[in-house]
Amino acid sequence: MVGGMNHVIEAIGLSQVFRQRQGLFASARQVMAVDDLSFRVAEGSALGIVGESGCGKSTLARMLLGLLPASAGTLRIGGADLRGMDRRARARLIQPVFQDPMSSLNPRRRIGATIALPLRVQGTGRAECRRAVARMLEEVGLAPEIAARFPNQLSGGQRQRVAIARALIVNPRILICDEPTSALDVSVQAQILNLLMDLRARFKLTLVFISHNLAVVEHIADEVAVMYLGRFVEHSANAEIFAAPRHPYTRALLASVLTPEPGLGLPEMPLGEGSPDPTNIPPGCRFHPRCPLATELCRNQAPPRGAVECHFAASGAGA
Amino acid sequence: MRRAALSLGAAIVAFAAILAIFAPLLMPHDPFAQDLTHRYTPPFWLPGGSSAHWLGTDGLGRDYLSRLILGARISMLIGVSTVILSGIIGTTLGVLGGYFGGRTDAVVMFIISCRLAIPVILVALTTVFMVGSGLWVVVLTIGLLLWERFAIVARAATRQVSGLDYIAAAWAAGCSRTRVILGEILPNIAHHLLVIATIDMAIAILLEAALSFLGLGVPPPLPSWGLMISEGKDYMFFKPWVIEIPGIALLILVLGINLLGDGLRDRLGARTEQ
Amino acid sequence: MNAVLEIEDLRIGFGPLEAVRGIDLVVERGQTHCLVGESGCGKSVSALSVLRLLPKRARFSAARLAFEGNDIAGLGERGMARLRGDRMAMIFQEPMTSLNPAYTIGSQMIEVLRRHRGASRAAAVDRCIAMLERVGVTAPAMRLGQFPHQLSGGLRQRVMIATALLCEPALLIADEPTTALDVTVQAQFLRLLADIQRQMGLAVLLITHDLGVVARVADRVSVMYAGRIVEHGATGAVFAAPRHPYTRGLLASIPVPGKIPPGGRLGSIPGIVPRIGAGFAGCAFRARCAVAMPACAAPVPEHRLADGHRFACHLGPDGAWSGA
Ligand SMILES: Nc1ncnc2c1ncn2[C@@H]1O[C@H](COP(=O)(O)OP(=O)(O)OP(=O)(O)O)[C@@H](O)[C@H]1O
Ligand SMILES: Nc1ncnc2c1ncn2[C@@H]1O[C@H](COP(=O)(O)OP(=O)(O)OP(=O)(O)O)[C@@H](O)[C@H]1O
Ligand SMILES: [Mg+2]
Ligand SMILES: [Mg+2]
Repeated sequence: MVGGMNHVIEAIGLSQVFRQRQGLFASARQVMAVDDLSFRVAEGSALGIVGESGCGKSTLARMLLGLLPASAGTLRIGGADLRGMDRRARARLIQPVFQDPMSSLNPRRRIGATIALPLRVQGTGRAECRRAVARMLEEVGLAPEIAARFPNQLSGGQRQRVAIARALIVNPRILICDEPTSALDVSVQAQILNLLMDLRARFKLTLVFISHNLAVVEHIADEVAVMYLGRFVEHSANAEIFAAPRHPYTRALLASVLTPEPGLGLPEMPLGEGSPDPTNIPPGCRFHPRCPLATELCRNQAPPRGAVECHFAASGAGA
Repeated sequence: MRRAALSLGAAIVAFAAILAIFAPLLMPHDPFAQDLTHRYTPPFWLPGGSSAHWLGTDGLGRDYLSRLILGARISMLIGVSTVILSGIIGTTLGVLGGYFGGRTDAVVMFIISCRLAIPVILVALTTVFMVGSGLWVVVLTIGLLLWERFAIVARAATRQVSGLDYIAAAWAAGCSRTRVILGEILPNIAHHLLVIATIDMAIAILLEAALSFLGLGVPPPLPSWGLMISEGKDYMFFKPWVIEIPGIALLILVLGINLLGDGLRDRLGARTEQ
Repeated sequence: MNAVLEIEDLRIGFGPLEAVRGIDLVVERGQTHCLVGESGCGKSVSALSVLRLLPKRARFSAARLAFEGNDIAGLGERGMARLRGDRMAMIFQEPMTSLNPAYTIGSQMIEVLRRHRGASRAAAVDRCIAMLERVGVTAPAMRLGQFPHQLSGGLRQRVMIATALLCEPALLIADEPTTALDVTVQAQFLRLLADIQRQMGLAVLLITHDLGVVARVADRVSVMYAGRIVEHGATGAVFAAPRHPYTRGLLASIPVPGKIPPGGRLGSIPGIVPRIGAGFAGCAFRARCAVAMPACAAPVPEHRLADGHRFACHLGPDGAWSGA
């Protein structure tokens, strides 16, 4: 670990601003989806990103995959810029697994052909592809005869396994999972999480795992980043976040995990009402309108940049 | 009920296709052979009709059934060729606009708007009038004018499909843009295009009939159904069957194509929504 | 008699598929009854059958289907239409499916009141505003003029619950109302539902696949698997001592912070819910069960414990083979 730590993902000042037109004559509004993010992910580690709907998780994922050029900042994946990279080399470097199992597989393609696609693009022959598909199906725990089916003949969990098989068939270094279990039953979610953990070790993957549920990333991630309105408001090692969450928003996320403990009742949500609006980011600390600890300082002055972006992080006030 | 309509449409179109393909084998007489001693022989069910000419003869004594069968070939040929031509133009424009968006899309929308500003019949008439009539002139003229429905539908469907995750996954798999379009987008919008193809085919066939009726379509002695109606129009009141027979043939074919299109839309739509 | 909804031996089928295979369920006033189970096990169709909203091609039978003590199995379409949205209300997983995108929130809510209560327009508007306020919608008067797509997901859920509660129903059926939401909004929504239930004395039948939700809100829970209720009881009892292997599997699959050491595996249930046709016998869970035996193909006995806790498994309460 010392000295030679190799970072496969390096983002410096990464931003994404969308222009959104409200009506024909209204002027375009700026949506700050990702706001000046800097972070690094070490080779072979797993970064969990957690945050509410609309905080910019998917936008960040799409930028990491090279699907969306950054409005500002630099992003180096595997030491290089994805934009100048050969598409085949890019595919061997980084692969996605998406949230919606219904729309992540081409409905007109048989499962076997879907899984083989990344390999076909690399120029591998049909016979070799067929063998690789059979091997991948086994890796993700699906029966070989699934290869001849169409997506609408599969359950959600099975489709997600197919999506994972497709991503891993080219043996990529990085896997970006954008809420891969949010659309699944909890029992199926557990299957997929266990599968990802196994495959991560077996394929020596660097993993970016996105979710809105803090409890879900605990099993997978080495580091956890809590995202709020386009920024990481807390970013630390897994054990630290769960043992001693320092940002009030992290504490709220942790409290809203419903554990199967009857008698506890529903958690007191320390979050204020209202949903964050990326077209209108509050001045000062961006979390202050919903923060139970907010003071005059928070309303006026942005917290210092760092692992925990909160004025009271150090003192742990109110925790 | 819907199934019945689809089957009926398919049967009609299949029948017309068989007539068109095997016309030389199916025609009982030479459709161009004149026999001035047997002009306007009525069809067999009218007094004076005979089994020598099931549907009678026209003003030059040519066998009407044979001409009708050859006419089916011409109608189908024109329908299919124009749809292929306009389908290629429209789908290319629509898919490019829908997939790339931005400036490409603006250009495509502008071209579509320009096309929509052109009055089809008027331009077709003028073109054929100036270039001279002929089968391929008609195909080219109609084909170059009728692509806008393909473009609009292909563009809308492409925009819808290209936002889906499997397109992003194919891109991440390293597919080239051509491969994304041909392998992922086209197969998933094909069912929309098939429906447009049937609509445009019916329109093309009717347009050809209209041009031929005006004497600007397929040149005689080729027996286009429109031309047959035109040639018979002077005798409309004395020998109505002269225009009734090609008229009904035209009606049935267009109806069949439309039934097929509607049926396909329901079937394919239901299947993809599953 | 406090039961608002009583169901006995409910069966639903689609063609060769037996979607629901004889379930019994009682929901009492002021009580939250949770129906849990994996996707496809028949939760939604059971709920829809209570409101008689099943598709026409569904086969449906019940030994008893009573609402507030009156038999509704024989009630005609007119009678059911009068009950729906008035005495019993339903909210769905995806709010957009029950809110019509072409009409404003106001016109949809007012329509409900006018149909069931014959209220005047002005009175209806007042009541809608009051109701929206009560479920925590900010600026309720303005919301009445908005269309569904102009609201955020959380607001839409609130509007839906307000609409469902307009006529002060006795029974609310909520079909996976929080599955599409993130954890923070889910917690807020469940709080809201619990508050309103307490105020109104509402009976709630809550459908979910998450035993974490159940633990926090339910009084009683029915665990459903492949069209049958495999375990039922008071929430505390079921969670303290789950008897059916499926219930145990579900409980183990919920991620709980700090419970499993880093790198440890979540418990999970391998395989998927089978589709069950006519002539199926024995325990439907046996293909996925860790303790299955060849004898599990025999009809399953039901065991009854204290306080209505019951479960259907070949292994008896003591964990020993009960010899069917
Ligand atoms: N193409 C776009 N044009 C304009 N705004 C966009 C676009 N894509 C995303 N946004 C906005 O950017 C913000 C972040 O979106 P994003 O999809 O990244 O959120 P998310 O964290 O993934 O949420 P979810 O959990 O719902 O998937 C949202 O407010 C969204 O409306
Ligand atoms: N209209 C229908 N036609 C045919 N089969 C149906 C129909 N509706 C439901 N089913 C079948 O009935 C079974 C139970 O469906 P149901 O919708 O009740 O499941 P569920 O438990 O609500 O699942 P989910 O968690 O996915 O909502 C499923 O196998 C489903 O395929
Ligand atoms: Mg997202
Ligand atoms: Mg359901």
